[in-house]
Amino acid sequence: MLPLTHVVPMTTIRRERQLPFPGAVVVRMNEKVQAGDVLAEAEPAARFYVLDLTRALGLPPKEAARHLRRERGERVDAGDVLAGPVGVARRVVRAPAAGEIVAVQDGRVYFEAKGAVVPMRASFSGVVVGTDGFQSVTIETSGALVQAVWGNGKEDGGVLRQVASAGSEKLEPEAFDLSLRGAVLLAGMCSHPGTLKQAGELAVRGLILGSLAADLVPQARRLPFPLIVTEGFGEIPMNHAAFSLLTTNVGREVALDGRVGGPYSAQRPEVIIPLSATRQVSLPDEIIPLNPGVRVRVVQAPHRGAIGVVREIPSRAVVYPSGILARSARVELEGIGPEMVPLANLEILQ
Amino acid sequence: MSSYMEAETLLAIDVGSVNTRASLFDVVDGRYRLVATGRAASTADAPLFDVSEGVRMALEHVQSVTGRRLIDETESLIMPATGAGAGVDAFVATASAGPRARTLLVGLMPGVSLDSARRLAASCYLEVTGEIGSLDRRREEERLDAIVKAKPDLVLLVGGTDGGAAQSLGRMASILDLGLSLLPGTEKPRVVFAGNQRMAAVVSERLSSAAEVTIAPNVRPRLEEEDVASVRQRLSDVVQSVRSSRISGLEELRHWSGGHLLNTADGFGRVIRYLSHVYDSGKGVLGLDLGASQTTLAAGFGGDLRLHVRTDLGLGTAVTGVLRHGTAADVARWLPVQVPEPRIRDYIFNKALHPGTLPVQMEELHLEYAIAREVLRMTLTSARADWPSGWNLEARATLAPLEPIIISGGALSRAPRPGYAALTVLDALQPVGVSTLILDPHSLTPALGAAAGVLPLATVQALDSGSFVALGTVVAPIGQGRPGRPVLRLRLEREGGETTEGVVRFGQLTVLPLRQGDFGKLTLRPERGFDVGLGGPGKAGAVRVSGGAVGVIIDARGRPLDLDRDGGRWRDLVQKWLWDIGALE
Repeated sequence: MLPLTHVVPMTTIRRERQLPFPGAVVVRMNEKVQAGDVLAEAEPAARFYVLDLTRALGLPPKEAARHLRRERGERVDAGDVLAGPVGVARRVVRAPAAGEIVAVQDGRVYFEAKGAVVPMRASFSGVVVGTDGFQSVTIETSGALVQAVWGNGKEDGGVLRQVASAGSEKLEPEAFDLSLRGAVLLAGMCSHPGTLKQAGELAVRGLILGSLAADLVPQARRLPFPLIVTEGFGEIPMNHAAFSLLTTNVGREVALDGRVGGPYSAQRPEVIIPLSATRQVSLPDEIIPLNPGVRVRVVQAPHRGAIGVVREIPSRAVVYPSGILARSARVELEGIGPEMVPLANLEILQ
Repeated sequence: MSSYMEAETLLAIDVGSVNTRASLFDVVDGRYRLVATGRAASTADAPLFDVSEGVRMALEHVQSVTGRRLIDETESLIMPATGAGAGVDAFVATASAGPRARTLLVGLMPGVSLDSARRLAASCYLEVTGEIGSLDRRREEERLDAIVKAKPDLVLLVGGTDGGAAQSLGRMASILDLGLSLLPGTEKPRVVFAGNQRMAAVVSERLSSAAEVTIAPNVRPRLEEEDVASVRQRLSDVVQSVRSSRISGLEELRHWSGGHLLNTADGFGRVIRYLSHVYDSGKGVLGLDLGASQTTLAAGFGGDLRLHVRTDLGLGTAVTGVLRHGTAADVARWLPVQVPEPRIRDYIFNKALHPGTLPVQMEELHLEYAIAREVLRMTLTSARADWPSGWNLEARATLAPLEPIIISGGALSRAPRPGYAALTVLDALQPVGVSTLILDPHSLTPALGAAAGVLPLATVQALDSGSFVALGTVVAPIGQGRPGRPVLRLRLEREGGETTEGVVRFGQLTVLPLRQGDFGKLTLRPERGFDVGLGGPGKAGAVRVSGGAVGVIIDARGRPLDLDRDGGRWRDLVQKWLWDIGALE
């Protein structure tokens, strides 16, 4: 079973969006949402305080606890009195920040200061088709889907603009002008740190690349906008299928998700382009068996990034110039011709 | 009462992050032998997140080779074997696939219990995301922050000798209880308590509302005594259980194996510990398993196992660790061809994206094994810090004598020629004296370790059955000299065959042909200043050596290897060594 990458012009896209911690979902089932709409909100703990009532009030622990004026879990604002007043000096203990008491033990109050509200937005327009009510919301839309291999962890969206005429074109700093401000840019390969700097200064909303030099990864991670890579690191042209699908959608609103979920997560960096469907479209396949006729992409040199169709899967292993022996497929690669490729170096492209 | 079983057929499954392997053992001529292996891509990751499919495909592979039906119509394992020759009598499983458990280490004394906790964590598949000690200078609120930020799946709580410190442990448990109760989400983390046993009930009671507590033996029953092995067993069970809750299919394997689903590293370690009982007590036994998502190094010293797992180093998803702990230049020094450093970094990042890919061209092959050398070297460096005193002198630049060295892992077992695997290991480990290199081409070691728990005879007999490939005997004199200066004179008298004599000079890597299964008497006369482990520098002697796929390797490149030479010349040397050891055609 080979890994599967979706590059699909029209499909049903269903994505579960999840708060990093429980909060409150603010949308209803079947509600239509736009990309910028808030689906749910959470208020994470910013930090904890331990407030010593016994010292502050000058009382033994049990007695100090009796002077508490707020309940555990009750919301308070910064400066609100939590305990007291006590004695002639009318000593009090005030909340150090907006938050709540989470525990009281041995005359000490454990106080959780609340951080800024974290909103979870829809990212792309669609319909709410599922929610657990406190942490996750599932949105569905129809449209184009291009899955990538790496992203810088950010997400955003905007109007797609093209800054390369081919997926093999290098993106240079000179390619940028003011008309691109606020757009999501489609390009080929990037190996120049000045290019990313220029994109950052121009305040673009996203960058879709075929490949990125590995040396630029730290800089890419610091960018305020999403950057996603469809092929990998080095100088690898964007695969023809993804590049042409994206170019046909230039001028449309696209959503970029540059988050990488890791090897045991379904989360992949991707581009979602909501489109209205004239008919019911199905969800993309999650599993496609490797058989002759299946479309594949090569993910290792010498033809990394090339797309082709499997013609034959010989039962005998093949020896390669490196001396490695591997089960392989004969693939008709676009623009190259028939080549034997180890199965381990292929992924299925839908 | 013995818990060992009687069985004729044994099936072992190992679920790795890239490959799932099935191995079938049967009794042939009164002894257990490997009769078939099957391999399939693991399916623990997307899109299935269920190991079952990979297991099923690996079993189908074994079925197609042997004609023996292993799974019934309901896709369940047929066990015990039927009279018609279907199924198996015993089943064992090991797994290393699955996400690492986010782990918080909580202890009392830095340098004592916390050090033990770190060592324990380094022998399991854990991702340490936080650490708290009773003497660290953070205030209580900062410790609470640390607990919440660590978002632990697992807490390893240690501290206090048996009958010793109770109060500070109680305080630590209270902070932990509060911190864990503040974690967002509904899933309770697991806590493994391996501290003062007198406090076990108190700790268990105090943490019961916020966590699921497992009591393990005290890792430091006395100040001067550390018992990592007993705790590891309990900790591994919990780690395996955390992983099973994240990845489907592991629970079924646990069921098939009668509850004995082991971590791959634990299975691997068991075999190394066993061998360290069997082999020369004056030498250690070393096992290395180079995986995609972790590298395991197990060292046994007379039954004392030191297991070290680096989940941040491997040849797949964990490969970028090479750049976190080193540089592209470190990798480049093992390359026989010039590859620009940016390209090395690109290769490493791409390998992490596609961990199962194979090098098709020579440059990629060289890159892959240059990275492997650095992964192994880094793992050995950190593992040695935990070796018993006497085996790891800080000032000692060379490795302790080891016999044998077991080599496992997909990359090393699929090396295009045996010499390639041998040179990779020699460069990375730089063994000294006389050692035997044994390759485990089918990655059987973890399975045999798991089998030792239910069918020890199968483990012992399978180790001897020829399922492992001897790469050969290595002789590596300790010492330095000018290139070309004689290092030793040797004489190899092959049993029932011809004799070879010669002089080996400094800088040479020489191979004397001696086939697997053949033996010979090797007489070594080192020059003054060179030590081959026969009693000191310049001491001569004779040893009985076994052959292998490479032969008898005389590694006179010096110990330690001088890696700071001119770039161009170094590349020529690497190329020459590859030729000399038979890694290239």
